[in-house]
Amino acid sequence: MKIYNNYILIIAILLLLTTVILVAMGQNALDVYYSIYIIEALIVTELYVYFNAKARRGLNLVSAILFGGFLFIVSSQVIRILA
Amino acid sequence: MLILSFILLALGRTIPRLPPEVSTLLFETGIDNIAAIVEELGIKSKAIYLPSSLTSGRPQALIPLYSNPSPPTITEALPQRLIVRYGASPDDVGLLVTTIGTTVVSMLESRPGPTPEELESALTSLFRGILGIADGVGVIHRENHIGVEIYNPRIESKATWFHQCLGGPLASVVASVAAEAWNRPVTINQEEHHKGKCSIELEVLG
Repeated sequence: MKIYNNYILIIAILLLLTTVILVAMGQNALDVYYSIYIIEALIVTELYVYFNAKARRGLNLVSAILFGGFLFIVSSQVIRILA
Repeated sequence: MLILSFILLALGRTIPRLPPEVSTLLFETGIDNIAAIVEELGIKSKAIYLPSSLTSGRPQALIPLYSNPSPPTITEALPQRLIVRYGASPDDVGLLVTTIGTTVVSMLESRPGPTPEELESALTSLFRGILGIADGVGVIHRENHIGVEIYNPRIESKATWFHQCLGGPLASVVASVAAEAWNRPVTINQEEHHKGKCSIELEVLG
C-alpha cells in the first residue's frame, strides 16, 4: 500500500502548495486554480506507472472526468473571448 | 478537495477484500505443509523453477528427490501431479509444487520478454505496484546468470530447510517470473539479505 500512500500524499501536498503560491500571487480567478490543479493531478498520475490494472482503470476514469472539466473551462474562455 | 475525493474513491475500490491477517494465515499454512513434506523426505537439492510451457499450465517448481551434480534437462511438459518423473533414470523423480511465484505470475498483465529491462519492469510492477512489498528492483544479466537486487524489501526470508530448497518468498517470485520470461528452467544460486537490500542470483538452465 506504500505506493498508494505516496501518490495521495504527493498530490495533496502539491495542490496545497499550488494554493499557497497562487494566493500569495494574488490570483483570484477560480478557473486558473482549477486548471492548474487538474494539470498537476494528471501529470502525477501519469508518473505513477506501476499501479495495478484495477487502480489504473479507476484513475483513468478520474482523469477523463477532470479533463472534461478542463475542456469545459477552456471552451468557455474561448467563447467569452470570441463573443 | 473534489479532485482528491475522486482519486480516493477510485483507489478505495482497489483495496483487497481480504484483511492482510487472513492472507498471512493462508500463506503460512500453505508454506508449512510444503515445508513439512520437504523436511520429512530429507530433500537437500535445490528447486528448479519451470516455465508454464514445461508444466502444462502455470509456472511451478520441481524439487528433485535425489541430488545430482548436474542439473536435469527437461525437454517435455511434466504432468500435473505432485510426484513426477522428469527423466529416463530411476532417480529422476521429483516433487512438482506450486509456489508463491506460480500465483504471482498470473497477476502480470503480459508475459515479460527475455531481456533484463523487461524483467526489471515486470518485477518492479509486481513488487512496487501490485504487492507493495519493495521499493524497486534492479536486474543484471550476464550469460546464463541473472542478478536481481530488490530495494527496501518488506518481507523477510527465514533460514529454514524449506527456504534453502525453494528460496525465500521474494526469490521464489523472481525465479518464477524469470523462468516465464526466458521460457527456460531457472534455479536460485544465491540469496542474500543486507540492510535495505536483497540480492538474488539466478541461473538459467537448459
